[in-house]
Order: sequence, then structure tokens, then C-alpha cells
Amino acid sequence: MPVTLEQNDALTFIHLEGGIDIGCAAELKDLLIEKLKSGSAVYVSLESATGLDVTAVQLLWAAAREAQRVGVEFGFKGQTPETVRCALAEAGIEEFPVPGFTG
Amino acid sequence: MAQPQGPSNAEQFKQSFREEAREILTELESALLALNENPKDTELVSRIFRGLHTIKGSGAMFGFEKLASFTHNLETAFDEVRTGRLQISAELIDLTLAALDQIRALLEEGAAGAAPVDPAACAAILSSVRKLAGIEERDDAAKKDAAKKDAAKKTQPAPVAVAAAAGAIENWHIRFVPGPDLMRCGANPSLLLHELRELGELSARAIMDAVPPLGEIDPERCYVWWEMDLATVAGREAIRDVFIFVEDACELSIAAASDPAPAVTRTLSASDAEKTARALEDGRSASPGRRSYDKPDQASSLRVPAAKLDQFVDLVGELVTVQARLSELSNQRDDAEVTAVSEEVERLTSALRESSMNIRMMPIRSTFEKFRRLVHDLARDLEKNVELTIEGADTELDKTVIEQLGDPLMHLIRNSMDHGIEPADVRAASGKSLTATIRLAARHSGASVLVTVTDDGRGIDADAVRRRAVERGLISAEAQLTESQTFALLFEPGFSTAKQVTDVSGRGVGMDVVRQRVESLRGAVEVQSKPGLGTSVTLRLPLTMAIIDGLLVGVGDACFVLPLSITLECIELTRQDIARANGKHIANVRGELVPYIRLREHFHERSRAPEIEQIMLVETGEGRFGFVVDQVLGNCQTVIKSLGRFYRQVQVVSGATILGNGTVALILDPERLIQDAMREEARGRGGRTLTAQAGPPENSVDFTALAGRGSIGPSASAQV
Repeated sequence: MPVTLEQNDALTFIHLEGGIDIGCAAELKDLLIEKLKSGSAVYVSLESATGLDVTAVQLLWAAAREAQRVGVEFGFKGQTPETVRCALAEAGIEEFPVPGFTG
Repeated sequence: MAQPQGPSNAEQFKQSFREEAREILTELESALLALNENPKDTELVSRIFRGLHTIKGSGAMFGFEKLASFTHNLETAFDEVRTGRLQISAELIDLTLAALDQIRALLEEGAAGAAPVDPAACAAILSSVRKLAGIEERDDAAKKDAAKKDAAKKTQPAPVAVAAAAGAIENWHIRFVPGPDLMRCGANPSLLLHELRELGELSARAIMDAVPPLGEIDPERCYVWWEMDLATVAGREAIRDVFIFVEDACELSIAAASDPAPAVTRTLSASDAEKTARALEDGRSASPGRRSYDKPDQASSLRVPAAKLDQFVDLVGELVTVQARLSELSNQRDDAEVTAVSEEVERLTSALRESSMNIRMMPIRSTFEKFRRLVHDLARDLEKNVELTIEGADTELDKTVIEQLGDPLMHLIRNSMDHGIEPADVRAASGKSLTATIRLAARHSGASVLVTVTDDGRGIDADAVRRRAVERGLISAEAQLTESQTFALLFEPGFSTAKQVTDVSGRGVGMDVVRQRVESLRGAVEVQSKPGLGTSVTLRLPLTMAIIDGLLVGVGDACFVLPLSITLECIELTRQDIARANGKHIANVRGELVPYIRLREHFHERSRAPEIEQIMLVETGEGRFGFVVDQVLGNCQTVIKSLGRFYRQVQVVSGATILGNGTVALILDPERLIQDAMREEARGRGGRTLTAQAGPPENSVDFTALAGRGSIGPSASAQV
């Protein structure tokens, strides 16, 4: 999974790139758990993503819930590409319940 | 990074897609040929469209992009037919049939032994299909006038609205709950939803309630499920077809809005959603009584690899052999308790044997249906009008027999098409229908299945067959043959009465291959023909190939097995009877003269014969015959073992079996024994078996030494 991390003490920025699907779901899960555990705010950018399958969607959705549970700030930053928005809309996921999602 | 389990599962599901797609292609071929006969049949057109749509959609989902793209154009062509913009023509049918061949090749691309894909042929077919269906013109027009089209699109009502105006639209509620392995098998729910959108207006809601906390998520499992409303002119089957390749890996309900089933069609309440979520986590269904991927016992059928089935039958065969040993030991012990257990094991083994044999039974339909295409193509090439009728396609046979039956049937049909069926002008002159008929039929007959190929062609000239046989030295000029014996000569190697060798048949090869193949299946071939009326070739095939009910007989120290299915009765043969027959091997059975083969003579057994021998009467394709043995030992379940290469040329023996006491009994092939004897008679050299014989023939095998004292060895395997 091509991913770029930007982080400081207060914030982690996860830039997801390319197709985010079942092939990298395990890695994404580990990354999200690790970053949420750190206690700093976590933001995800899909600006360079070309696709998002349902395994990735449910991980991000669960991460948002987990963040809420542990009191960590979590959300999306940046514009979601048209292709990703369309793919999510086609899958019936028009209202992605994660703050900052520009669907 | 953790290695996903996806690839191996994905490959498994790809294989599953291949298997199902092969079946769809066979159905498509049949539907196309039926459409050729009934071009106005809209149901057939819809079926073809749906089949192509399924192959395209599912092909794309499982990574067969080339196949999906190739099929897309065909699907478009049949959509044109469906909507009345394109007429069915012989050209479209032939192009589509040729395209199916390429789809088959694309499906198997990369697999070991697969025929290579011919890109030039694919391109030529696609070009012709696109031209015929006007796809190219429309694409060109669309490109040139894109802006205009966009504008027009905005003012045009949606397709569903048009359909609604026509009054054909229906609203469907679909609930789709992916199973745990759906994603791992390479399926993508988004593509399924995309396909549904192609059928009409879809409103989909992804339900996330079942997604567990982040730490508990199996990252490769799909927890999301969908509630959808679809407004479409397509029927329930078309909707179900979208899910055809994932149906076993999901829970699916499709309900028309008009269905009186509110419990299924209602939107899930919060408590329902919780139940579903819990069920997903627990691996149980939320609604009792509904089909669930987690309840395989509720599935109506199960696809099992053939190798696993063969292994299972092998093990049952071993069990039968061990059970025979147990019976033998219990007989020696004279212990009531051991005998009771032995009898119970025997009863269960017999039931298990029958069940395992039933699992291997398959309807012959798919083999029969394949010949529609052969008849269609040959009729076109030979410029003959031929109709293929199929009867008894649901008749079941052992899978091994079915697998081996394709080639013999193909030879027989080719022969009928080429030599049997007359050209149209000849048929017209003789007052026959211009359309000839080939009938392919199957039916049960005792422990056998009879498969018959019948044509209404010119029939076989028995005199010509006889003359040819004399010319080739197969029979003497004086030989007296029945009609059945004369037609049997057609199956001699190199025999042909065809005046002309054609691309289709007539090289004198083929018919002997038919007999070889059928006899290797322990079957027999019989020909009946009436000049001017037609020919009928019947293949008598055993129901099963792995374990048979046999009759154990003794000759000297050796044991042999006769297939129980063909045995009729047993009568005594005394030395006086033999003396009265003046060297002829003929028995008088209640006034009927029945020829017999004395096995101790046939197998050169030199031990002293008992005072009273037994004639085991059998019914074969050649008529009623007797086999003379020293004693009849009783019934036995016979696990057929192959004899290895050394004995492969010994055609009177179809295999061997291991008896309860560990010795070997040869399984006799009564048809071959009789045919050997009859051929000897026909050649006029003095039969070894039907008349008195002197001295052993050359290259003979010591059967009695092999049966009873020999051993098959550890490498022997069940012949299934």
C-alpha cells in the first residue's frame, strides 16, 4: 500500500495513494490501530487515491468509531477524487460517516 | 505486511467461475441452435442475452478482462435483437457460435493443455458482429455527435421511464449480505451493484451496522451489507443471474414489490440490523429458514472436485475388499458375535457402495447437447438438412462412462451425417422428407444404459458389407453370418464400405475405435439397419465402472467373476450331455439350443473336470450363451482393479478383483469371449469354443495360473 505519513507530536497525516483494497487491508488496519493508539489526532487524505473498496471503507469507518470511543480526533482532509466518490456512491456509501469526507 | 489469503482463494473462485461459465456456454450453444430453428422465440433471445451478460459481468469481476470485453459486443448484439432493432439470421447465429469457441479459449487461456487464443479470429469475429449489429456505425455517430447526444440525453426520459410507460416495469427489493469469504474469492460487491444498475434504476444503501470494532475486524472480510430497490423491466432470473457466481458465498433475497411477503421485503428495523450483525459475527443466519452461506446443509447441491470423488470411491472399494476378508474370517471362526458384526459391516458396506456409486451418476444431457453444434456445423458443410432430436437426456450414467462416451458418439454421428443421410435430391427422389433426422436417445435396461444413434438415411447394404469383408479376408466366402454378425464386421479395424473418403469420415478408421472405446467401458455395440429406411447403432453401457455385482465361478483352482447383471440361470452339464453333442458345444435348454463356451478348454485348464459341470447362461448383445464352469461359488461385490500393461492386450478379461481370502479373480468380459469365439467360427477355421478344439492358440495366457494364485501387486489401482 503506497502511503505517506506526515506526523508530529499532535498530528498524524496519512496520505493514501493508488487503489486501496483487500490487498492492503491488513496493512491499513495495523496502521490505523497504531496511529490511534498514539493518542494524537489522525487525518486521512484520499487525494491521491484512485479507488477504495469495501474492506478499506469499513476499516476507515471502524477507525472513526474507535477514535470517538477513545477520544482521539479523526477525520478526512483534502478533496476526495471524483473516481473515489463515484465508486463509493455506486456502492451505496454516499454518506460516509467520517468527519471531513467530501462525498 | 501480512500476506493476504486472497490469491489462493481467488484462484479457487476463478476455477469455480470457469466451471460455471463452461456450463453457461454449453447452454448458450443449445439455445443458439434452438433459436436457429425458431428465430421468433423471444424467450430464447432473452436467455442468450442473460447468459452473455452473466459471462461478461462475472468475467470482469473475476479478472477475465479480455473475455469480458470480447463478450460485451455479443451481448450488445443480442440486446439489439431483444429490442427488435436486429433480426436473427443464420449469419448472426454462426458468428455467435464461432464467438463462443473463442470465449471458451479465453476462459481457459493460460491453463495447461488449453488451446491457444486466436487473436486474429477474435478480431475478425468482433468486427463482423459489430458490423452486423450496427455497433460500429452507432459508435462513430456517437463520437461525431457527442455534444448533441448529451443535449438530447438531458431531454430524453430515462430508459426505465420509457419501460414504465410501456407498462413492463417492476420494483424489486433486494437484500444482499456477503458471506465471510466473498472478498477473498476475488468478488467485488461494487461490481455487482454496477451490474444491477445496468438492469434499471437502482437505489442502494450500504448497511454498516455489522462492522465490528477496529481491533476485531478481519481486514479481508466484508461486513457491509446492502438493501436495494431496483426498478427494472428485467425479471427475477435476470437479477439472480447478477449474483450467480457469488450465490454460494452470500445471503440473497429478491422480492418483487408485488410479492405478498412483507417480512422479506420490508426495510430492516434497528433490531433486525442488530440481529443480522450478531448473526454475521456468530456465523449464523439472522432469520431461521432462510438460505444462508453458513448453512451448507441447506444448499441444494454441492460442487466437489472429481479427484476427491474418485478418491472416495477408491476408499469404498478398499472397504469392500476388507469387508470380504472379514466375511471370510467370520465364516472360519464360527463365532455368532463375530458373524453378526460381519453381517452388519457387510450390510453397511453394501449401502455405502450404492451411495458412492450414485454420487458418481450424472445425466447424459450435457454430452448429448454438445452434438447439436456438431450436427449444425456438419449439416452446413455437407449441405444437408438434418434435425437432431434428443430423448432420455436425463438418463444417468457413471461419470467415467459419460466422459468416455463423447468420441464414440461423435464418430457415429459423423458417419450418419456423411454416409447414412442422403443428399436432399436423393431423399426427394425416394419420397423422403427433405429434412433428415438423427435421433440420439438414452434409456435404462437392467444394469445397463442403452445409448442409440438412429438416422433415417439410406441404411447399410448388408451384401456390400459381406463382399467387402470377404475381399479383406475377414471372413471366408462360404461363411454363414446372421445380419447382426454381418454388421458387426463394420467395427473391424480398417473396414469401410464408403466409396469416397471425405473430410468427415470414410477412412475406415473410427468405427473400430468406437467398438474399442465402448468395450473398454465394458459395453457393447449393436447395429440394426434397413436399406432405404435408416440405421440404428446401440451402445450398451454399464451403469458403473468401479464396483460391480459379480458372480464368482470356479474353474480348476482358479476363480473368475462374471458380471451378475447379464447372468440368467445355471443348469447342469454332465459328461453324457457332452458326449451326446458330438463335439458341438450346444446345450438344450427347455427346447432352445444355446451355444456354450467351456472355460476350462478356453483357458487350457488341464486338471480333471468334475463329473457334473455348470452352465452359466448369460444374455448378451449377441444373444443367449452359456459359460461352462466347474462350480458356481456365489455372488460377490467386485471392486474392479486394472491388470497392468502386460495383460492389457488380453481382451477377454476386463479387470481383476481381490477376494476375501486375498487371492485374485479375473473379471471376464462375456461379450469379448463370445465375439472371439464367433470370429473364429466366421473365419471358418473351426471354432475353439463353439465347436471342439485342439491345442492351445498362439500367444495364449495362462489364465488359471493368474486367477487364483497370482497377485495384482501393490501398484494396482481401482479402475474408475
